[in-house]
Amino acid sequence: MKTFLAKRIWQTLILIFGAITIVFIVLRAIPGDPALLMVGANATPAEVDQVRIDMGLNEPLWIQYFQHLWEVVQGDFGESWRLGGDALAITLSRLPATLLLAFYAFVLTVALGVPLGIYCSRRPGTIADRIVSVMSLTGQALPAFWVGIMLILVFSRWLNLVPAVPDGTFKTSILPAFTLALPFIGWLARLVRNGALEEIGKDYVRTAKAKGLAPGVIFYVHVMRNTLVPIVTALGFILGNFIADAVIIENVFSWPGIGSLMVDSITNRDYAIAEATVIAITVAYVIINLAVDLLYFAVDPRLTPETSS
Amino acid sequence: MFQRTPGGLEINRRNFMFLTGAGAAATFLASCGVGGGTTEGADRALKAVFSQPITDLDPHAANTAVDEASLIAKYLIFDTLVRRNGTEIVPSLATEWKQADPTTWVFTLRDDVSFHDGTPLTAEDVVQSLKRIQSVTSAQTPLWAPVLSAEATGTSTVTFKTDGPLGTLPVNLTLLFIVPAASANSPDFFANPVGSGPYTVASFVPSSSLKLKRSDQYWGDAGKVADIEMPYIAETSSAITSLSTGEVDLLWPVPADQVKEVEAIGDATVERIPSYVYYFNWFNCSRPPFTDANVRRAMWHALDVETIVSTLYGEGAEVMTAPIPSTVFGYAKQEPYRHDPDLARKLLKEAGMADGFSTSLMWFAGTGPSATELAQAMISDWAKIGVKVEAQSIEKADWLQRLNTLDWDMDLQTNTVTTGDADFTLGRLYTSAANRLGYSNQELDAVLDKAHSIAEQPEREKLYAEACKTIWDEAAGIFPASIVTAYGRRKSLEGFVPVASNQPDLSRISLNAK
Repeated sequence: MKTFLAKRIWQTLILIFGAITIVFIVLRAIPGDPALLMVGANATPAEVDQVRIDMGLNEPLWIQYFQHLWEVVQGDFGESWRLGGDALAITLSRLPATLLLAFYAFVLTVALGVPLGIYCSRRPGTIADRIVSVMSLTGQALPAFWVGIMLILVFSRWLNLVPAVPDGTFKTSILPAFTLALPFIGWLARLVRNGALEEIGKDYVRTAKAKGLAPGVIFYVHVMRNTLVPIVTALGFILGNFIADAVIIENVFSWPGIGSLMVDSITNRDYAIAEATVIAITVAYVIINLAVDLLYFAVDPRLTPETSS
Repeated sequence: MFQRTPGGLEINRRNFMFLTGAGAAATFLASCGVGGGTTEGADRALKAVFSQPITDLDPHAANTAVDEASLIAKYLIFDTLVRRNGTEIVPSLATEWKQADPTTWVFTLRDDVSFHDGTPLTAEDVVQSLKRIQSVTSAQTPLWAPVLSAEATGTSTVTFKTDGPLGTLPVNLTLLFIVPAASANSPDFFANPVGSGPYTVASFVPSSSLKLKRSDQYWGDAGKVADIEMPYIAETSSAITSLSTGEVDLLWPVPADQVKEVEAIGDATVERIPSYVYYFNWFNCSRPPFTDANVRRAMWHALDVETIVSTLYGEGAEVMTAPIPSTVFGYAKQEPYRHDPDLARKLLKEAGMADGFSTSLMWFAGTGPSATELAQAMISDWAKIGVKVEAQSIEKADWLQRLNTLDWDMDLQTNTVTTGDADFTLGRLYTSAANRLGYSNQELDAVLDKAHSIAEQPEREKLYAEACKTIWDEAAGIFPASIVTAYGRRKSLEGFVPVASNQPDLSRISLNAK
């Protein structure tokens, strides 16, 4: 287990280093000058140059890169020129809102996806099964930003059931959480259904039946347990996606999380915040993946770090 | 069912599941306590939604020096020496001011003003605030560069020295917010700033939300409502929804194509006022064929400006009659360029381009309402006189970079006369020294320079009229439309006054209980 963890942490560090480097290169490769955005269209070239010097943007790129790496190692992502403050602190202050939304969406996905999948796997080929199947494909096909706007229109504007913008109450998180969860509810349902159906055809189920076990016991105690490994993988993937998808959803719903912060920072070439948000999302993703890997050993005792890696 | 791993770490499956679940539940429960609900009834907060986020509350920060969203908040938290009332400059912290000699201004301050923390506001705070804003390079830098020094010549008198006559000093001072000298330079000061204005900061999340609380010790008329909230709502449709459900009391500017939606809301109404914001289509006058004024005029005559503006904006914009909006000090009405494609072709022929020419137009979509549609309408009119214009809809950051390096043929954008004085735009953009659009005219330079320095307002007005005429007749750019701001508000609001600057005084508004 120790070697496993060491290996994973090493991989994580390489991944984060890669992310820092890619973000650094991409942000500077795209046209646009933060100094100019800062002083605006009315500034004279001399004023812009002064700001560039103040911001350290006139140093050669490779010097900026190594300075940046050294600072990041020390946990210093620099100051946000736009929001005026420590970039990492601002990013971290926005993280709970994103995690909270991801958590709600996750609960919603599991609470709807798993029962739906079980329901369908127990009556494959029926009309109910097909309806769920079609709906899950539709849910995956609809673009999230469109779904979000439609939900606001129907549930806030027309029905006036929930506020359109977040005010810190649970009510206002229902629509964004549902928008985030929608494509994955159907996906998870299909995964549970197909996984269960595959297991049902296996020999041990026939044996269990022959022993005279009740169908419910066979399904929930034996079949579901064996279906868990792919589901855990999927859940990790889903949770990771919820954090990444926040970039779109948060803007539609004015959710004060890391996604809306990231979009704003990239549009305004606020390098410090852009880098801090990307790294924060990367780290969150990696941690979730690590948790999933650990969860494998818990759900399937046959797996050990050695056999799996 | 224990999984014993070689490292000695024990993971029990049920325990693992239990702990994960317990952790999740704890997060959930903790999160339910986050934030508070909206308060109902007469003591609820005034919720005002502007289309831009407030990113910073430091009134001297480089990035928000002329940013409308943060200025709205800064006027509530801080004070300035003087304020603008229409085209007039009226007392605020300063009770009176006079020009002792052409390069010396003396301002007398009120002596009964304290900051929110109780320390009295003195002349020294004014001096330090000026020093503070002069120490950063920002969009305000040109306003303060001519000011050599400010000196506290008494506890309540401040003397400003300028490097030459500076008639615009009082106007410029409407943008100098006074902060407490003693604490303003501590690093966290502006996360929760202390000012002397009618409101104090209750909480602030940059570019997300600002909550203000009425100050009990304000020297002037106390704010009408106890609490003001300014949330940022990125999606206009969500903001309109919030206005319709009563979560939001005031929303501006409402885009022209969504005004009808707001008007359809029973409890809401729309008020319009011509703003300081306007569109211009600059020519790069240093690049052929736009070096020729007749080519530029031909481009203008090719446009059916009236039809374009009325179709695209309806009541949301006005056809311009000067290179600055009619609401700005220094405006002087000019003779419109009539829509005349034949004349345009004739002018092109005289310039040796009977078959037209190819050029390009750059803009970024967010510059103003329906920017892309406006660009396309103009491009299709130009095509009719044989001028092929490549549409370059680019990202803001890219656009700014090209704009500042004069790397463009034509540039379509909005501009804002932040101070409401022609000096802010004409005086800064059209001089040969500024070289913003490759246009150079020494006579115009002289006029703008004089208008910048003298203090007599009628004389300044005359000079800007002259400048307006030159820029207009020379067609340094095309000036199609000035934007009319539409404020959507709950009918129950009282005391709301729409203003051209997009910065209404929220402290004067009261909520009538429903």
